[in-house]
Amino acid sequence: VLTASLVLLVALPAAGAAAAGLVGGRVARRTAAGVAGAVAMLSFFCVFAAGPEAHQQSLADLPWLRGTLDRPVFGVLLDPLSAILLLVALPIGFLTVLYSTAYLSESNRDHPVAERESGRYYFWLLLFLASMAGVALSPNLLQLFLFWELTTVCSWALISFHRSEKSLRAAYKALLMTQCGGVAFLLGLLVVYVHAGSFEFAALARLGEPARSSAFLLLMLAAWTKAAQVPFHTWLPDAMEAPTPVSAYLHAAAMVKAGVYLMVRTAHAGSVPPALASSLLAAALVTLLVALASYFLQDDLKRLLAYSTIAHLAYVLLGAALGALGSALAYKAALLHIACHAFSKATLFLCAGAIAYVTGSRSISALGGLGRSMPLTATAFFVGVLAVSGIPPFACFWSKFMLLAGAVQLPGTTGPLLVALLLLESLVSFGWLLHVGQKVFFGAPTPVACVNSDPPWPMSATLVVLMLGCLLVPLVALPLVDSIGATP
Amino acid sequence: MTTALLLGASLLLLLMGALVSLLLARERRKSGWSSVAFVGGAATLLWLVSVKTFRAGAEPELTLVRVPALGAGLTVSVDCLSALFLAITASIALLTTLFSVEYMTRYPRDSVARYYPALQLLFVGIVGVVASADFLAFLVFWELMTLASFVLVAFEGDSSSSQRAALKYFVVNQAATLGMAAAGLILWKQSGSFHFSALHDAMGSLLTSQSALAHVVLFLFFIGFATKAGILPMGDWLPDAYPAAPSGATAAFGGAMTKLGVYGLLRVFLSILPLGPATETWGLVLLLAGTASLFVGTLMALQQDDSKRLMSFHVIGQVGYMFLGVGLGLFFLRSHPALAALGLMAGVFHLLNHSLYKACLFLGAGAVHYRTGTRSLNALGGLAPFMPLTALCATTAALAIAGVPPLNGFASKWLLYVTAIQGAQRFPLFAIVAIVAMFVSLLTLASFLKYLGGAFLGLPSTRVGLREVPASMLIPQAMLGLACVALGLMPGWPLRLVHRALIGAIPEAGLPRFGALLGTGAALQVSAGSAGVAAWGPLACVGGLAVLVVLSILIQRAGGAEVRDVSAWNCGEEHPTELVRYPAGSFYGPLKHAFRGIYPALTLEPPHFPRWLRRAFDVDTWLYLPSAGLVVRGAAGLSRTHVGVPQVYLLWILLGAAVVMGILLGVAR
Repeated sequence: VLTASLVLLVALPAAGAAAAGLVGGRVARRTAAGVAGAVAMLSFFCVFAAGPEAHQQSLADLPWLRGTLDRPVFGVLLDPLSAILLLVALPIGFLTVLYSTAYLSESNRDHPVAERESGRYYFWLLLFLASMAGVALSPNLLQLFLFWELTTVCSWALISFHRSEKSLRAAYKALLMTQCGGVAFLLGLLVVYVHAGSFEFAALARLGEPARSSAFLLLMLAAWTKAAQVPFHTWLPDAMEAPTPVSAYLHAAAMVKAGVYLMVRTAHAGSVPPALASSLLAAALVTLLVALASYFLQDDLKRLLAYSTIAHLAYVLLGAALGALGSALAYKAALLHIACHAFSKATLFLCAGAIAYVTGSRSISALGGLGRSMPLTATAFFVGVLAVSGIPPFACFWSKFMLLAGAVQLPGTTGPLLVALLLLESLVSFGWLLHVGQKVFFGAPTPVACVNSDPPWPMSATLVVLMLGCLLVPLVALPLVDSIGATP
Repeated sequence: MTTALLLGASLLLLLMGALVSLLLARERRKSGWSSVAFVGGAATLLWLVSVKTFRAGAEPELTLVRVPALGAGLTVSVDCLSALFLAITASIALLTTLFSVEYMTRYPRDSVARYYPALQLLFVGIVGVVASADFLAFLVFWELMTLASFVLVAFEGDSSSSQRAALKYFVVNQAATLGMAAAGLILWKQSGSFHFSALHDAMGSLLTSQSALAHVVLFLFFIGFATKAGILPMGDWLPDAYPAAPSGATAAFGGAMTKLGVYGLLRVFLSILPLGPATETWGLVLLLAGTASLFVGTLMALQQDDSKRLMSFHVIGQVGYMFLGVGLGLFFLRSHPALAALGLMAGVFHLLNHSLYKACLFLGAGAVHYRTGTRSLNALGGLAPFMPLTALCATTAALAIAGVPPLNGFASKWLLYVTAIQGAQRFPLFAIVAIVAMFVSLLTLASFLKYLGGAFLGLPSTRVGLREVPASMLIPQAMLGLACVALGLMPGWPLRLVHRALIGAIPEAGLPRFGALLGTGAALQVSAGSAGVAAWGPLACVGGLAVLVVLSILIQRAGGAEVRDVSAWNCGEEHPTELVRYPAGSFYGPLKHAFRGIYPALTLEPPHFPRWLRRAFDVDTWLYLPSAGLVVRGAAGLSRTHVGVPQVYLLWILLGAAVVMGILLGVAR
């Protein structure tokens, strides 16, 4: 039953995508919401049914590879690691779809969307869900690569959804840059295959020395481009041309999370040479600081949030690097941060979307005093800011605190120094986000902000669920993360 | 078990109260009264916990939730020190909520959905902080407290100064909290657990192995708690943030939340820091920081013309007294337990007193604000005939804070002076400290005379519609004022509780019994060796005064002197007007000029990046777009070779063949 359900997790949204694409219009909207809701429920069922045990099942093979491999190529794998990504990608996917049903309408003041466009939109969005489920459930590098490329294609189609000059350019840029990473992934994959005769994640640890370093370096490059790390980060802020629910999904739960997922999958103490782990750590730190500095230069609310995403992905990679250097706690923290950040960032993005929907503007300097007319959005935004900055009792506090605890375990002065840097980043980004929140929601209403109300109910309901998520995610994710042994 | 149960029930009541008041937020009064009901229930339970702990002693601690990955958990532990703070919090919580019901009707534009729930969450945070014996839980509740108070400070949504104050408040306190988190983590690295007892052991081993790091940890804790308490130089946020919140909330801040800084300090320096040379060093740091901020805070308070801002600076000053007491106690903890006990008791007793009179003062300022709509002392005056009871309570509290006998402020300050002067025999610096503290007490009186004079005295105000505030706003003030009098008349009774709380918190220090410190009678008697050094018997003094008053009345009656009714002399002015009034802004001019800006002010500004750095961040313009352009130009160049003429292609083939041949020949050779 479990295997069948897991296959359904990929197949159902794919089928839904086809159906929505074919029928279009209002029916597509309902189909998409129904399918996404069902898949989200199913993902919970699967995770609870599987428990802390890893569940792996091989399903199919490529005829021309038969005999050369230790295991068939295609299958499903559900362990706590994939459970985390699954519980992020599918429930948030459902919320995104639900939100989109109201957001994509003629009454959107930022980007009115005609009813006939919705078939195309839901086709790509559901396909995105399916490919993320595929990424999460992949038992080996090859299958992961296939779904990984599928997410790239989906994001290209969704970023360029409005088909304006700017959005086409942004989508092309995203495609090009992540594709470079895809090529690196493919090369890394081939190195592993040639030297170990296997696509398994564990095969990386069995490689001899030069091969292992080069394979891991290539995979690292792939993760950096996908997760928009410096210097490959420039596609992500531009990708804000996408409709906001897509941005939210892209940032919180999909696409970029696939990049960091690859790292937490492959970067273990046994498999990564310490020099590469250290460079992963250094790159994450540089990304953190560059993203932080870029906060102050943004006026577009969504671009600001994009840089915040870049910084938080750096946190995850930092945790993975620390894990590869031997800290099991930091590794768990990285995983936990994937989940916690997903809900916090989705909240923030969907708030930005609600603001744009109602006012038609995303400019921080043009907005002001919205709190009086949009109390729910204001609450959600502040909850998101607190959650993403790691203010207890909200989600990211727990992951950040665990990460700090992992960092402090580093020998010598590196640990305290790292902790000091991370705390500084937390403080400054928190201060700035809070300031932006106050600017947008308090004070005297600006001309743009003279509006009447919160967004329609599907959007408001999504925000309420996400706010609860910001508070409750650790309750679900912490036991899952804890069930991963010291050596994953 | 019962303690945990009662605490849990009270927290549940507060959370439910927060939810109910949120749901009722459209109707201000209903929301307020429901909050009063829930807070009242919770306060009763907290009082029960407090009384039970003082009577039966602390129950064994109970761990409710565990986070095994971090070696942390929600550990509930209430000893007498916690019980003392629980009692303070419960009382202040109930009184300030009751006061708020009517007060909050004067904010027509801001919804109370951002007030009552936040207020009750603030109390949840305070109770949680006080009852936790695990550092992680402590930190979570501590942040909850900061978060809730941020919402209260930012309550006036349209006021940009409120928003700025709130931002500064949160960011500065967050910085301090993150520092404490780092300190906790460094200790955690040693012990693998966040329990206070584990941190104690970790601190002990750290002090012997890496004493520099241990002092960094202590410094971070000190800064963390000093920030919350408003101690120099981290208290700059306080005079901005406190006045911005509605007065009920300000009273809760001043009466309960500020005190948590001192509570945290007591926990860290009494329970986590092992007794040793470091105790002495940090005792000295604490008392110097305390002295500096009581001096600077009070001098700044003298210069203020906004009633709540004036009182906020006095928070800084008064917390300075507490730090002074605690610092003296720590300094002598190893060498002279009797003096240590006196210093600690003076500090904690002052804390208790300050909760009462500062809450009363903030509520009084709120009452004035409620009727007049202003906090500027220059615009007020002559309110006493219209608001006699508010004026009476404010006067009582003002005299108490200034340390006028026989009120409670005098009793704790007296104990502080006695300790400092006695300590001066061992460490002469303390004599100067004592003199500064006494002098500042005078400044406090001066500044509150300005407040009383500016707000209540003078010619009757000409404002329309002035009358006494409703009973629900008067009762809290009256109860706090009465408590100030009661604690002042019978200081021995609360001091015995404070003594028990301290004995429980530091069992290894061997503090002397109460009788040996302050005598067994109603009066407080301090003795050194066998000789008495100082004594203070408020009841005897007040009794004597009362006898004198009765006597003078009797003499007046017996003499049959007649009472004349004359108007007050007004410097010969025949038609006194508002214009010739001596406004509050004109008080203490020399001090204003001499000490302007003595408190370092912090401004938060976004960074400005140089142009080259901005360009460096923009990777697209200097890396990707040029390389993409290069590819495009290269492709264009390459396509120029495709001319579509067969002869040219043949030429290319020939050339290519020649090159290949050349290479082959070269390789072959």
